[in-house]
Amino acid sequence: MTELFRRLQRTPQGALSVAILLLLAFACILGPAIAPQDPEHIDFLGRFRPPGVLDWLGADQLGRDVLSRLLVGARTTIPLALAATLLGTLTGAVVGTLSAYLGGRWDEAIMRTIDAVMAVPGLLLALLIAAALGKSSGNAMLAVAIAFAPGMARVTRSVALTVRRQDYVSAAIARGERGHWIVLREMLPNVIAPVVIETTIRVAFAVMVFATLSFLGLGAQPPASEWGLMVAEARPFLHQAPWMLIAPGAAIALTAIGFNLLGDGLRDALNPRDER
Amino acid sequence: MNALSRRWLLTVATGLATGLPPLAGLAAAAGPAIGTPRRGGVLRISVDQAASVINPLLTRVNPEYLVTELLYSGLTRLTPEMVAEPDLAASWSANEALTEWRFVLRKGLTFHDGSPCTARDVAATFAAILDPRTASPGRTNVGPIDTIEALDDTTALFRLKAPFADLPVALAYTNARIIPAAIATGDLTRLSREAIGTGPFKLVSYEPDQRIVVARNPAYYDPARPHLDRIEVMVYPDPTAQASALLAGDTDLMANTTPSEFPRLTGAKGVVSLRIPSGQFLNVNMGCDQMPFSDVRVRQALALTVDRTAMVGFVAQGYGTPGNDTPLSPAYHFYKDMPLKKPDIATAKKLLAEAGYPAGLDLTMIASSTPSTRTQLAVAIREMAKPAGLRITVQTMPHATYLAQVWKKGSFYVGFYNMQATADAIFSLLYTSDAAWNETRWDNKDFDKLIDTARVTTDEAGRRVLYEQAQTMMHQQVPSVIPVFFDLLAAQRSWVQGYTLHPRGSVFRLDEVWLGADAPKRG
Amino acid sequence: MSVGWLARRCLLVGYTLLVVSLLVFGITQILPADAAVTLLGENATPAALAAVRLRLGLDDPVWLQYWHWLAMLLRGEFGTSMRTGQPVGPMMFVALSRSLLVAVLSIVLMLIVAVPLGIMAALRRGRASDLLAGLVSYLGVSLPEFVTATLLLLLLADRLQWLPATGYVPFAEAPLDSLRHLVLPVITVSLVMVAHVSRMVRSEMVDVLGSDYIRAARLKGLTARTVLFRHALRNALLPVITIVALDVGYLLGGIIVVEEIFAIPGIGRQLIVAIEARDLPAIQAGALIMAGTYAVANFLADIAYARLDKRIRYD
Repeated sequence: MTELFRRLQRTPQGALSVAILLLLAFACILGPAIAPQDPEHIDFLGRFRPPGVLDWLGADQLGRDVLSRLLVGARTTIPLALAATLLGTLTGAVVGTLSAYLGGRWDEAIMRTIDAVMAVPGLLLALLIAAALGKSSGNAMLAVAIAFAPGMARVTRSVALTVRRQDYVSAAIARGERGHWIVLREMLPNVIAPVVIETTIRVAFAVMVFATLSFLGLGAQPPASEWGLMVAEARPFLHQAPWMLIAPGAAIALTAIGFNLLGDGLRDALNPRDER
Repeated sequence: MNALSRRWLLTVATGLATGLPPLAGLAAAAGPAIGTPRRGGVLRISVDQAASVINPLLTRVNPEYLVTELLYSGLTRLTPEMVAEPDLAASWSANEALTEWRFVLRKGLTFHDGSPCTARDVAATFAAILDPRTASPGRTNVGPIDTIEALDDTTALFRLKAPFADLPVALAYTNARIIPAAIATGDLTRLSREAIGTGPFKLVSYEPDQRIVVARNPAYYDPARPHLDRIEVMVYPDPTAQASALLAGDTDLMANTTPSEFPRLTGAKGVVSLRIPSGQFLNVNMGCDQMPFSDVRVRQALALTVDRTAMVGFVAQGYGTPGNDTPLSPAYHFYKDMPLKKPDIATAKKLLAEAGYPAGLDLTMIASSTPSTRTQLAVAIREMAKPAGLRITVQTMPHATYLAQVWKKGSFYVGFYNMQATADAIFSLLYTSDAAWNETRWDNKDFDKLIDTARVTTDEAGRRVLYEQAQTMMHQQVPSVIPVFFDLLAAQRSWVQGYTLHPRGSVFRLDEVWLGADAPKRG
Repeated sequence: MSVGWLARRCLLVGYTLLVVSLLVFGITQILPADAAVTLLGENATPAALAAVRLRLGLDDPVWLQYWHWLAMLLRGEFGTSMRTGQPVGPMMFVALSRSLLVAVLSIVLMLIVAVPLGIMAALRRGRASDLLAGLVSYLGVSLPEFVTATLLLLLLADRLQWLPATGYVPFAEAPLDSLRHLVLPVITVSLVMVAHVSRMVRSEMVDVLGSDYIRAARLKGLTARTVLFRHALRNALLPVITIVALDVGYLLGGIIVVEEIFAIPGIGRQLIVAIEARDLPAIQAGALIMAGTYAVANFLADIAYARLDKRIRYD
């Protein structure tokens, strides 16, 4: 693990991603403690105050401090996106592995059905599920997880199938190595690596889809300071207070970039043979 | 026959309602009407949402009212001063007890399909409106009608369940538009796609989410109106796009706009921005039939946490009037000017303690997501009530879910209403114990009695006394907190003449609009 | 490309639509709203509700309702909108045509930008332009459409006033104005795809340029230009067809957001309006038509791929 971390740090993407994600983790853990103001405190005279000494990133239509809302909002945005991805990956992995294990007609039926479900654009599926379950952050998380599951099932299935056929496994068997040694030493890292990379990149997607749901009014609800919702609330005031919109937009982008970079960094760190 | 009725009869006989001093004490923000109306031309008016329903009995939102007003006529219609003037009915009269009303139609009225419009069509239309199976919003708003009878081709007799002085105004209600008897008693669904009315315009094409086109009805009862040849109603669901279209000259008139667009329109060349105080309000409804709101002190405490002047800024971006917990704004005729409630956290805390909640209260306030000002209000009240120990959780939901699960049933939620034509209409719509939409389940017999008495009082001063008492009562008892009234905002190009922004919000009178010589020519 | 292969692909499209219809119907069944209440709004009386329930068959068992719906679909009908009382099918297909205009323009713009960008990055691997292309693609995949769209709106429409902010003008009415209104939406939608496709082109190009085949061509003495355009590009672009087809999924998702922001009355906006109004027939029709569009796009991509690449066997 430490070896992996060191390798990750050596690539520029890896180092940058670690820096970004540390910053975000910091905001998630300490956000409410370091927020300069109460994120929900309304201030009649401070409405639409531009960024400055009083509000570093400006204030919104109710006079609430944008920076404080951003810091506190990290908690309602990032952990839920992570949870959604993990849940989706887990479900997908179970289905995918099961499909690969069953093989034959079952595999065919499951995969064709998954293909069919994937014909519904991911965002639309998430929208429909979020609407059906009711508007809330928790339900939006479930919706993202369900929308992710088919894609992850596909990935895990193909990985499981290739790993089974891999030469090095046969070679290990031919060398006469014991069963659990093969699984631990040869198969597991090869199964886990692609899944971990895919999962990491998907966290970036989850952050975006989750924020999009909130933006469309189907995720987090006011007065929450979820970032997508903040953008949605800022939209009518585009002319008079653009800072209300730029700050949360940049935060979402930074998070997505962080996880995308981490995914790429992990790919390089885990597959040193791939020179691309 | 008493004084006021006689005056109405007089009004009607001269056919000039505007000749009277305005009953509602407010100046209408009018586009300048200079010179004599020019005939002809195409007007493009933009609205902010789809006119999904064009069956006049079933319309629910302002763009739908706009379209059906062009295609259909009622017996009476509302002037900007909120007075009933003749429309299809040329005159009317009531018996002494105000329980029987006769409406006499104009001669030779015809529907768009050429068939004659008679008192039988009037009777059948109102029967359909009052039939619960029709589910017309007008059912509870057209007055306490018991039966309607066609005495002859042009005379309709309305028998009421109770005396009612405001019937001519009530019959101007947005859903009370006359349709052919054959349809009213037969297949009402026909009117979801075609329009067979007596209105100044005929339907040409109908794309509910895009554009609705109407053209002059040559058989309209008044040969002088409408002035325009054609009106195109354009749907712009996005307020910025709607304002940009007016600024670019793609449209001539906006039926409404938002506070965020209004400053931009006001400053623009060739554009006249229109603004008028209205009685449109947001309120916080409290279930007066259950704990904790059954205790008047809890309601009073909440009312004392709200900074109403600030709320006008938070919710209406300054384009509004602070409310005083009565549904009558200064735009209403019988408005009573009382000192504005000021935030008083100490007293609010004291009231809560007396009511048995010294540690405060945990409450969940529900706000539908449409319009978004409901949520703004909820979030702002949540913060204002916090220091008094009222810990409010705001819960938002889609409008359809809200209607199904919360509206009229919930015990703490945000309501939103258009201005009504009369004080009686708003009180008996929302606050009397037998109100159609008694959301708060407030049951105050003294209040009911005031409203009932006022309904049959025709003497102006006597009526004022009663309505002022009713307002004082609501101000003190707070069945709902009414913190803010909205101004209606709109804009037009300078070449549009004769348009008046109507405080009711749902009346447009586009048959009186004409285009100046500098208007762009449109196919 | 045998008949059997084609038949199998068609069958798969049919199966896809069946699964999607079940999925969509299932989701609309658990939507938290009573369709009859939705239809009647504030003025629902018990009598009116009962009448509507009977008319819509809402009290039938769920499987029967599904069967009726499916039978209607097979007749080519999509039902009547609860919001407008108009037939849903024509409404959605008109909306789809507007969305497809945005989609096609986005794909065209994407190809114009992404392919040269990918090639350039591959040829100048490791140099500044490669890094720049990488940065662009990072931003592309990391900015959700609603952020890109609002930022573009802020910069190009609000501050610089170069383009109209929002709204839609029918192409037939004023072609130039219509296109001006489509610039921002199209840029927004194509950005994500530019990111995907330019990366794909780059990595395919790197592969192909390093392959024995190209090395052989070079040894034969062909010019760099011929090698690049006649041989390398053709092989590198083939997989792009697949990724474009797969990206139609993102495209349709992105279109929902973009139509909402720029007030384009396309199918995405219709869907959002339908979801907000709990207009079940419209939700069902919209979702099904969108999924159908995606399935057909993939089907077409498969055929195109098969025609272009004779080396792949289809059985």
